[in-house]
Amino acid sequence: MSYNLTHHPDATMLVEFSAGTLATAPSICVSAHLHFCEQCRTELLRLDQVGSQLMAEAESAEVDDSLFDSVMAKIDSAEANPEPSVTAEVKGFPHSVSKLIKNPQHKPIWKRLSASVDIARFKTGQSDFEVALHRICAGGKTPKHDHSGVEYTVVLKGSFSDERSVYKEGDFLVRQPGDVHQPMGAQNGECICLSALKAPIKLANPFGFLMKPLLRINPM
Amino acid sequence: MLRKTIDIVDENNQPTGKVAVLNSPEKRSDEWSVLLIAVGENRDRQAFARLFKHFAPLLKSFAQANRHQGWFPGLSEDLVQEVMIKVWQKAAGYNPEKASATTWIYTVARNCRIDMLRRKSNTQHLPLENEDYWHEPDEETPVSLLRQKRSESKVQDSLSQLPKEQDEILRKVYLEGKSHAEASEELGLPLGTVKSRVRLALQKMQILVSPEYRDELSHEL
Repeated sequence: MSYNLTHHPDATMLVEFSAGTLATAPSICVSAHLHFCEQCRTELLRLDQVGSQLMAEAESAEVDDSLFDSVMAKIDSAEANPEPSVTAEVKGFPHSVSKLIKNPQHKPIWKRLSASVDIARFKTGQSDFEVALHRICAGGKTPKHDHSGVEYTVVLKGSFSDERSVYKEGDFLVRQPGDVHQPMGAQNGECICLSALKAPIKLANPFGFLMKPLLRINPM
Repeated sequence: MLRKTIDIVDENNQPTGKVAVLNSPEKRSDEWSVLLIAVGENRDRQAFARLFKHFAPLLKSFAQANRHQGWFPGLSEDLVQEVMIKVWQKAAGYNPEKASATTWIYTVARNCRIDMLRRKSNTQHLPLENEDYWHEPDEETPVSLLRQKRSESKVQDSLSQLPKEQDEILRKVYLEGKSHAEASEELGLPLGTVKSRVRLALQKMQILVSPEYRDELSHEL
């Protein structure tokens, strides 16, 4: 799968992803983008070479011989009792998102957020971000809103637009606090996005407070 | 050179000699990749023992370099064990066209390190392991080994020639496990400077495919 995407994570995020220092929620978004983006996959292969080279050049530490025996013993016992592997993919969705959707401990449930937007929150084992799927119906308008925390979004299906651009499958967006925007679903079908939101959303509409309880952040 | 002593075997376990493999441009012929392939294809314990001998000390040193607050020295050997067990279990999935054995093992170590930290700092159930983030889509376009090798040697050569201030940050990020923000705090530099230095280093190593899509380099150097 290779689309000509124009919205990518920036170099800083890719480096942190490659080094393993990016927080869980943004990592899930980068991983979803990678599913669609060959260019970023190529860059990550190269970034991993940086880490690998730095690791290989380091002065090696002393390892006791008994460690090898202990590893072999664990390998043998694991092979005697293989763990069943269950991977059911959701067609067309990134592996990480599929796994969150199929999480046996917490199946996400769609909830109505507004007339045209539904949300399904994920359990990801961290509480810094709310990670969720948003579904905008065809031609649906979302309330105009601001963010008090950074928000990462990846389009998984369909497309949507805002004042700045049209976003297609795989596109990766970052919205900083203060970026007021009003996403609108494409006319030709529903749009599903993955998002990770750092802090509560503020509504820019003066009557927006009416919406507030529905838009309340709920990190899980 | 060590690699002269490697026994290369074909599908029927017959030695095919070193020359044919070493001269073939389509195969990875470095010692570690050959050994890793042998582990994946033949569950070769001797090959695994040699990988262990080489990589366990590097992995331990990689683990000890970690400066994350949740990390403590006792975890280093746990990491070595966990990584080497994964290497054995996942070796069959190693794709030599995409990465050298060293890079592949680095990615296993990176993933294990994050998972260990997440498990330590979290009492909640974690539905994803870090390797889930790196899952390749099935219809992935094949990579050309030649192109891959070219970029590997570019990274390798330019990495050793980076200015000290760029090298220092890359080490903090990759070995110590610091975010850019933590590195900036520690070095007493603005975050923008840290990011620019990293990006300059990436440009020198020719890592970014289309730099025009990326943020403009900031000028605060």
